[in-house]
Amino acid sequence: MNLSRRPVIGLAALLSLMPAVIGRAQAAPRLPGELARTIGYDPKTFDPAKVDDEESETIRNLTAGVLLRFNRLTQKVEPELAEDWNISPDGKTVTFTLGFGLEFSDGSSLTARDVAWSLRRVLLPATAAPVAEEFVSPAGVTVDAPNDRTVVVHLPKRVIAIGKVFDEIAIEPAERPSEGRVTAGPFFVADYRRSRYVRLRRNPHYALKDSAGRSLPYATGVRLDILENTEQEIRLLQRGEYDLIDSLAPDYFELLGKRAPGLVRDLGPSLNTEQLWFNQAPASPLPAWEKAWFQSRAFRVAVSQAIRRSDLSRIAYLGHATPAYSFISPANSFWYNRSLSAPQTDVAAAKAALASDGFHLHGAELVDGAGHPVKFSILTNTGNAAREKMATLIQQDLAALGMQVTVVTLDFPALIERLMHTQDYEACLLGLENVDPEPNAMMNIWLSSSPNHQWNPSEKTPATPWEAEIDRLVDQQAASDVTAERKKAVDRVQQIVADQQPFIYLVYPNALVAVSPKLQGAEPAVLAPRLTWNVERLRLQGTR
Amino acid sequence: MKAALAVLRWFARTLTILLLVIVGSTLLVRFAPGYLSDAREMDNRYATEARSQLSAEAARSRSLPRMLLGELRGPLRGDFGISRQFAVPVSELITPRLAVSGGLLLRGMSLGWMMALCAALFSTAGRNPLLLWQAPATVLLAIPTAALATFCLLADSGGPVLVMALLLAARDFKFLDHALRRAWLEPYVMQARAQGVRTSRLLVAHIAPALASQLGALASLSFVTALSALVPVEVIFNVAGVGQLAWNAALNRDLPVLLSVMLVMALAVTCSGMATPRKAEWESA
Repeated sequence: MNLSRRPVIGLAALLSLMPAVIGRAQAAPRLPGELARTIGYDPKTFDPAKVDDEESETIRNLTAGVLLRFNRLTQKVEPELAEDWNISPDGKTVTFTLGFGLEFSDGSSLTARDVAWSLRRVLLPATAAPVAEEFVSPAGVTVDAPNDRTVVVHLPKRVIAIGKVFDEIAIEPAERPSEGRVTAGPFFVADYRRSRYVRLRRNPHYALKDSAGRSLPYATGVRLDILENTEQEIRLLQRGEYDLIDSLAPDYFELLGKRAPGLVRDLGPSLNTEQLWFNQAPASPLPAWEKAWFQSRAFRVAVSQAIRRSDLSRIAYLGHATPAYSFISPANSFWYNRSLSAPQTDVAAAKAALASDGFHLHGAELVDGAGHPVKFSILTNTGNAAREKMATLIQQDLAALGMQVTVVTLDFPALIERLMHTQDYEACLLGLENVDPEPNAMMNIWLSSSPNHQWNPSEKTPATPWEAEIDRLVDQQAASDVTAERKKAVDRVQQIVADQQPFIYLVYPNALVAVSPKLQGAEPAVLAPRLTWNVERLRLQGTR
Repeated sequence: MKAALAVLRWFARTLTILLLVIVGSTLLVRFAPGYLSDAREMDNRYATEARSQLSAEAARSRSLPRMLLGELRGPLRGDFGISRQFAVPVSELITPRLAVSGGLLLRGMSLGWMMALCAALFSTAGRNPLLLWQAPATVLLAIPTAALATFCLLADSGGPVLVMALLLAARDFKFLDHALRRAWLEPYVMQARAQGVRTSRLLVAHIAPALASQLGALASLSFVTALSALVPVEVIFNVAGVGQLAWNAALNRDLPVLLSVMLVMALAVTCSGMATPRKAEWESA
């Protein structure tokens, strides 16, 4: 067919308009001096008292004016709005003295009345503030404001590490909560476009100043783009559109490290742990013989001894993890038990332990005393590449003992349903994110009555003597105000856990972050938020 | 009268489809594993709040008929219910995203059609072997949308509109090429060409009207294809549209949001199906 070329050329010309219509999701333009980062999804709330998800917590950390600030680097509590504070000898009265001339971001003055109102609001059952539970008995707590600069909190009983609780309570203007629009923190919420971004602006009345007497924060604002895709996030960080990534998976860390080595930092072991555990719940729908395996200490110890943790670290985490034997990471230097004796990798010892418990090989297959082949599945969540690799490596390690392991990945809601509700699983591989170095924060896992006592949740009475001993030690350390006594109790709990292996600790993933070279003042810490805990001191190169 | 009956039939069919969507989606999500669980249950800080929300949801969803009625009430009230994940009316979540997805669909479809049409014209007009045009179209057809989107993202070239356009262009090209080839060989077209009628005139006055009904059906098919690509494209490119919302809602078992997105999509598909093939019926009526 020989046709005139003109219409074809005309249409082809239309193609030249292509670039004009090939759009892509554009982030909001960055304002001068503004920091930019991402959050994974829309914050559920901007009300600092009602924060119950990670993204809302990020916003609260950046905007809340608090009485005391928990320094993530020194792991110590420091005064912020309170210039002074003290706890009575019986631990039941906490007195704060506010700094002079404090103001909210709208210029109104901040007095003890605002502080008392904010604390009372958090304690009210109607507010349903998650932080209220940290007061142990929030209903019995009373707050007084005897004058404009003094606030007294009366507790019904001593609360361990009470100072850190005040790092989570934002002081708001009395009777006019503003969902972060009026704050006493470094920034306030200026703009929010659902599914696009949250824009924070500098609080010109922020109380803190730097050593030279200059007002903080340095940055004019923070833009938090709502972005779930890590590939896109690291690409935009490389382009300079973002200034930091607070937490990176090891594969993305390596990818970014290869492209731009100067951007990434491995801070060493984090407080988080990855662990494997067996379902020991008597009410679970597992066959009786499987329950018997999982309740056997020899079986659990043998599994622990067969796992090559150094391989998990090297292969699954590409070297960015540390083998783990306890629930407290070496990053938590004070509470970590350095003299812990835990079962190390030893396949021969594992085989001997199994043999002593009546297990034997039938061909290449391990069977129990009654001839049941040792087959079970390990559940883990989809989408975590390192965890999936670990499960596969463990599958190989346990094959050396003759165990047949299947790896099953489920999405989080389905996994949680099995763990917390139906208890229809054999073994599970998951991680725990520890945001608090204080061991008291882990009480919900170790107390046998807790629903989060994963291997056997909500026990009416401790099922084993060692669980009873853990209960007693946990209660003992929570009631004591003598640090040495508490340390001794926590060390003993670590030793019992290492001996009994209810959780088989695998690795402490390293804290991996990325920081733009343009960002100044960053002091990365292993505790979250790793890079923005001192956001008031962060600034972009070239800005004032 | 015929027109009124046709409209009535369409309404009845659409209503039935929407009701089926409500019942089907509600049953699927309610009985999906993990409907009554929450990742926050594992987090000491948020577990109590999560458990109290789950108890309320368990009480609400105990009776299936009551649950269905509850889900029906949302669209009837106009706010489409309250999102489980974000605790805000679903209409607040969907409305701004409709514009974003609509824009993406419109641009993707326009560009896709333009590419397909140009390729079909080049293919039928020139002396180039057909394979030159068909090979890339076949390759594109073989690549899953998500893989194409990921490739564009990693290669840092092209965006959601281009991926959507390539997907549609590959599919539409085959139809357009086939239709054009046949049209050029129609006796009246050949006679017009022999009489020296200009190509542009041929295209506008003879070929386009003859292909109008086929093009209408193809447009409808393109729309449905584009809708199906909306979820992977929006998720991978982080476009804040209804596809991304649906994905998050599915992951979080957020029934009111998922149901609303399904209703919107079902309505869009029904309307697109209604508009094009019925053109002749409308005209004759």
